[in-house]
Amino acid sequence: MTAAIPVIRQTAALAWRSIVTTIRLPQAWFPALFFPLVLMAIFTASFGGAPGTIPGFPPMRSFLDFAVSGAIIQGVLIGGTSAGAAFATDIEGGFFDRLVASPTSRTSILTGRLGASIALGVGQALLFIAIAAIFGARVDGGLIGIIVVVVIATLFAAAVGGLGIFLALRTGSGEAVQGMFPLFFALLFFSSAFFPLDTMVGWYHDVAALNPITYLVESMRREIIGGATIWTALTGIGIALGLALITVGASALALRRRLRVSA
Amino acid sequence: MSDQAVETRDLVREYKGGVKAVDGVSLTVESGGIFGFLGPNGAGKSTMVRMLTTLLRPTSGTAIVAGHDVMKEPGVVRRRIGVALQDAAIDPYMTGRELLRLQGVLHGMKRADCRARADVLLGRVDLENAADRRVGTYSGGMRRRLDLALSLVHEPVVLFLDEPTTGLDPVSRVTLWDEVRRLNVEHGTTVFLTTQYLEEADQLADRVAIIDGGLIVADGTPKALKARIGYPLLSVVAADGSTPDDVARVLSGFGEMVPGARDGGAAVRLPGGSTAMADAVRALDDAGVRFAEIDLAEPTLDDVFLASTGRHLAGSDDATV
Amino acid sequence: MKGLAVSLGLAGRNLLLVRRVPSVFIPSLIMPLFILIATSGAFHGIGALPEFAGASYLAFTIPMAATMGAGFAGINSGMTVARDLEGGFFDRLQSSPAPRVALIMGPMFAALVRSIFTTTIVFIAGLIGGVWLPGLLPLLLIYGFALLFGACASCWAIGVALRARTVQAAPIMQLVVFLSVFMSVAYVPASALHGWLGNVAGLNPVTYILTASRSAELTGSIIWSETWPGLVAGFALLILLGIFALAPLRHLENR
Repeated sequence: MTAAIPVIRQTAALAWRSIVTTIRLPQAWFPALFFPLVLMAIFTASFGGAPGTIPGFPPMRSFLDFAVSGAIIQGVLIGGTSAGAAFATDIEGGFFDRLVASPTSRTSILTGRLGASIALGVGQALLFIAIAAIFGARVDGGLIGIIVVVVIATLFAAAVGGLGIFLALRTGSGEAVQGMFPLFFALLFFSSAFFPLDTMVGWYHDVAALNPITYLVESMRREIIGGATIWTALTGIGIALGLALITVGASALALRRRLRVSA
Repeated sequence: MSDQAVETRDLVREYKGGVKAVDGVSLTVESGGIFGFLGPNGAGKSTMVRMLTTLLRPTSGTAIVAGHDVMKEPGVVRRRIGVALQDAAIDPYMTGRELLRLQGVLHGMKRADCRARADVLLGRVDLENAADRRVGTYSGGMRRRLDLALSLVHEPVVLFLDEPTTGLDPVSRVTLWDEVRRLNVEHGTTVFLTTQYLEEADQLADRVAIIDGGLIVADGTPKALKARIGYPLLSVVAADGSTPDDVARVLSGFGEMVPGARDGGAAVRLPGGSTAMADAVRALDDAGVRFAEIDLAEPTLDDVFLASTGRHLAGSDDATV
Repeated sequence: MKGLAVSLGLAGRNLLLVRRVPSVFIPSLIMPLFILIATSGAFHGIGALPEFAGASYLAFTIPMAATMGAGFAGINSGMTVARDLEGGFFDRLQSSPAPRVALIMGPMFAALVRSIFTTTIVFIAGLIGGVWLPGLLPLLLIYGFALLFGACASCWAIGVALRARTVQAAPIMQLVVFLSVFMSVAYVPASALHGWLGNVAGLNPVTYILTASRSAELTGSIIWSETWPGLVAGFALLILLGIFALAPLRHLENR
């Protein structure tokens, strides 16, 4: 118990540092806010006539309500990649080595960065919901709905953060981590993030149906446009949690491996 | 008029904020020689070269290169000059041969001529074996040689080399010097080179101009500049029964004595330099004066710089600094 | 004439670099393909909108993907100029007697060649996806307007590169090109656009370029009312951006 307290404090300190350095560098947060929001605006304006006209669209108030969850997931994805790249930059630049050489606990190196991703993920989700609300979106599930959305977004942020850290530890290069982003972006498109799964056909539909992101987005979406149940909420939370456990576990192993090698 | 490769009059380059990188430089470079532009970092050498090679517009003054005004006829100047700048401007993803051929195309040469010329130059700078490898794999010395070859593609009248051997190992440095000398002797190309290494200016240049803070502080042949400082100092330490006075008596016949320059011995300024040193040694021998140490210190361009500016020229000691 | 030879020489160099710099080559191959597949796959359902009148959404997307591919090619040509400026190779180009215009035309020619390449990839992918365009005319229009857009994107990117003189300017080059395509008829025809996007798209030259690019797809013959605005908008944009790219050449020696 006494050993846990310093870890918590170190985690908080490192998380705080990551958050502050992210906020201070526009290129770290701007893409994660700008692109999802711009796409959300463009898609809403382009596809405004779709709900109600096109078969396969669940009932909803407007396309904007539909698009918010996809935008949140996209934002978390971009933000998580930047976080991984930042971690890699820390390794490149020597900050990581300095941490390792200090009495900082190994765990907090990881939990610090994850904590920052989680905190930023919460902020991002709330911000996107607020912005959408300004333009007329409404969350059907009310306060509980918002909480479910934020929880899923946060767990996904941890998952992406974990993946970013894993890549950073394995490649040691910020550029390599950043270069992974197109892959993630592709993953996003092959899901129901931007358009309903039921409107897709052929192999594309099948791929999207296998993509865990589809279910994350659907789970969040139901809270906003309606049709959510305990099960849909738990599905989303469960998948996000599962992804987070996998990637965080992988990065913990990668951290241990890197430290063993350098020790 | 056309005997001069380069002529500048009150050339000035001022940047925003009033910083004058070049503050009124007037110089003349005769055709056919090697001209050395010597100065510490930040003295204005690169700025001068960029103005003379039409890469930078002078704030005021005139510059006539290869017989044409750089501001009024830049296109003509570009056809007559070769340029090898400080950071070997090359493309790491292309091969040496491809770069040489591209240079030919840039100069308006026909395809076949480009190829032929590339082959010739590759042979000349000894890069035939590496010609078809990407330049990114070349060593520093190889890149400079390629840079030199690129600047010669169109057989320029005046060649501008900006710090050609900075960062090179001693062997590569000497190789490059030989190239430059051969160029000058065999092809009559006028060479205008800038350097921070006094040894380079001393070894290569027929004439040297020393620049500091955007202004020329000394100008002439290396020999004449050094001679202006004074003749080399011969100092001899007496030994084995001979006294400093004995030494002084012999040496005084060779030049002006410098009192107090040497403990236990005497020092004289030798107008004749190292040749006179042989005579001095013989004279000491004939007079039966015995000595333990004998030392001849030639003035260097660093001494010239020191005399003009009160500071030492950085990089004057060690070429690989 | 010498200017032409120099431009071709520089274009050849650019194309060489595309093959050799992997971080440029792979994306330029994959991106237009990805856009085609992802857009037509994810938004397949939008084809059910009445404004489409039953037309294939894949066919609708092909010109957009081709245009984006050309846009990428244009951005890359600007990035080459930026890299040369940052790395010093541009000094070699500038101090040679090459006509200043050739320093721009070279990279732009390369962008045009690559636009042809990417459009072909998109077209072949469309064929595999089952799209048979009625005749050669639609193909001509798609290639032609892709080239026009590619030339515009190239002028834009080169103009930015000549002013910024650093590869850090990449996001600016990319953002403007992407937004110009997204804020137009990228995903749906003009008749389906309402509100703010309808207004913005109406002012956006790329809207007319894209509409013109698609104008022969349905019937196989040109619908002039849809084609000529694209020609006017495209060439007007090209002239403006061409001036944007050429202007810094005069002041290269002032830095």
